[in-house]
Amino acid sequence: MSAMTLAKRPTIILGLAAVVLALLTLVGLPTPLQTVAAVAVLILLPGRALAQLTPVTDLALGTLLVLALGLATLTAVSTAMFYLAVWSWQACVISMGVITILACIARARQEAAS
Amino acid sequence: MTSTLDTPSRMDLRWKPRDLWCALAGAGSLALVVWAASTVALPVTSDLGLVAALPFPFWAGVLILNAAFFVALRGDTEGPASRPVMIWLVAVLVLVLFGTAAFVTDVPRGEVAFRHLGIANALSGMQQIDPNIDAYFNWPGFFALLATVLGATGLDPVTLALWAPVLNVSLWLVAIAVLTGYLTRDPRRRWLVLWLFCLGNWQDQDYLSPQAFGFFLYLVVLAMVLGPLAAKPATFHGFRPAGLGQWWRERTPAEPRTGFRLAALVVTLLLIPVITASHQLTPFMLLVVITVLTLSGRVWPGRLPLIAGLVLVLWLLYPASTYLAGHPLLENAGLQIAAEANVVDRVNGTAGHLLVVQLRVGLTVLLWALAALGAVLEWRKRRLDLRIVLLAATPLLLFPAQAYGGEMLIRVSLFALPFVALLASSVLLPGDGSVRPSARAVGALVLTCFLLAVLTVTGRFGNAQYDVFTRSEIDAVAAAEQLAPPGSSVISAAHPTPWRSQSYLEHRYRTMDDLCREDLSPQTCGPIVYNYARHNPGGAHLIFMRSTEASVVLQGDNSPGEFTELEEWISMQNGVQLAFSNTDARVYRVAP
Repeated sequence: MSAMTLAKRPTIILGLAAVVLALLTLVGLPTPLQTVAAVAVLILLPGRALAQLTPVTDLALGTLLVLALGLATLTAVSTAMFYLAVWSWQACVISMGVITILACIARARQEAAS
Repeated sequence: MTSTLDTPSRMDLRWKPRDLWCALAGAGSLALVVWAASTVALPVTSDLGLVAALPFPFWAGVLILNAAFFVALRGDTEGPASRPVMIWLVAVLVLVLFGTAAFVTDVPRGEVAFRHLGIANALSGMQQIDPNIDAYFNWPGFFALLATVLGATGLDPVTLALWAPVLNVSLWLVAIAVLTGYLTRDPRRRWLVLWLFCLGNWQDQDYLSPQAFGFFLYLVVLAMVLGPLAAKPATFHGFRPAGLGQWWRERTPAEPRTGFRLAALVVTLLLIPVITASHQLTPFMLLVVITVLTLSGRVWPGRLPLIAGLVLVLWLLYPASTYLAGHPLLENAGLQIAAEANVVDRVNGTAGHLLVVQLRVGLTVLLWALAALGAVLEWRKRRLDLRIVLLAATPLLLFPAQAYGGEMLIRVSLFALPFVALLASSVLLPGDGSVRPSARAVGALVLTCFLLAVLTVTGRFGNAQYDVFTRSEIDAVAAAEQLAPPGSSVISAAHPTPWRSQSYLEHRYRTMDDLCREDLSPQTCGPIVYNYARHNPGGAHLIFMRSTEASVVLQGDNSPGEFTELEEWISMQNGVQLAFSNTDARVYRVAP
């Protein structure tokens, strides 16, 4: 069986949420919804996807890692795009969506192996 | 095994009546504070700042909140109140102390947050980084993040800046909650540290800024270093090289899971470059602190300081080389220079302003004294964790390294504050965690923390006469920036001026204070400003505002009448026309 079929449901939901919210953010939503969707797809979902690659079981540390990894990864991606003169917020949304999906695939492999 | 918050408070779903009353008291105090703050009339006119303008119900709310917190902290024999109640009360304190200004006005305080919005806006427009513009473009990480977040979310930048202190302090507290979990197992002390951190945080570095972001990531790295990357201390064999070598080799990792240690190391190695790319000072502070911690034998990856140092050097040599070419690192180094810039130059101004400065110093000294006493008490009980002392004291090493615009002492006190609060908490809660504080002790704690809250509000909002802007002043600055053609100068009387948020690169921004080297007398400053404006090919727009006049007068740079005389002198010169005016500001156009 493939890793994806053996992946746990939260990981699949996380990856799908990243795809859907990234598309919605790019298409555009009314202001409060756009803010929520963009914060989720840029910071919270990638932070969660990366944090779950670590074997953290502690709730407080897990929460901290979601925030720190989400913010730090977005900073790294945005800064690199500015230095490469390819920045646009849409490109950042796509990049963070891709990072989230890749992290979910890595997590699915971990789950399949365990 | 390393884990945090083993038993911070009960997680049972059944709330005791006392918990409910504490939560309700927190809600009531918040309502009282919000209502009281919203009645403050602007502009603030007292030299003492906002503290003199806040009505009695505000302080009643603060007192009730402290009482609710300490009743909840006292809890019962099982420990403090349930975790949701404790989190709620800390959240209310954050809103009360760091959201006060947002309840008073819808305009962010100070000049710098406006400037930072302008840099993010300029980056969005350029879509690339030009390090020749200024220092900010040599450390652009935070601004790249801000530009992306503002572009994608559609958030109003001014609203984000207004609430940034609440957001930043909330992030800091999450990190402090985690790292104190590695330093004490006493749940009451952990909650008290969060409370004391808020009450001692008068430094006002939590606005929309790279340093606030950098401080959050700094705390996260410390959480990694104190938690999954920590080492158990080995037996010390003396200072001889062989003994030191043996001591170093005998260290063992505190976290037994190799995978967790590796993951924590990867997280740390991601955060270090992001911190380095985002702020000038924070990576130095981080390098010094993790070096000292590593040398104490309490960090497992012994090469971590080398990696942090290498990242820092590479950043200075390449992305930040443009700025450093004209600004050597140790340009303003030395204890005497640092003392003059950080202490002597700041103790100036009117009697009210001097009192505010003295109270800021007093609050810091009080907390440090409590921390020193706490360290002695812990040492005598043979339970002093050396790491806490190192984390509190090490930031002081950077004090003589750079004057940092007279702000180094403020930054040092902020970086030390979480650990100063942790040491101080052992004086305020001398038991070992299983001991429930007496009702009398709770009463004393309520009064002590209420006093600290008064001092913090006084220190934090002590410049409100000039850093809380009125809507008229914002309108005047916006008018000046709109009227000024691209390439022309916009000249304000002094800092702070809420400008550059929309047109960071379009104009040349100067202050009369800087042009005239702080002598604003009409005889000296008038001709300098007038000639500067006339010789600019695009002309200039001059802004005179209530807040800038208050700034120079309050800080002792000028007497009250001189500012008006300067304005009158300039307004009578050839080619000078009044272009905009309202109750708090005038804008003059100077033809080239």
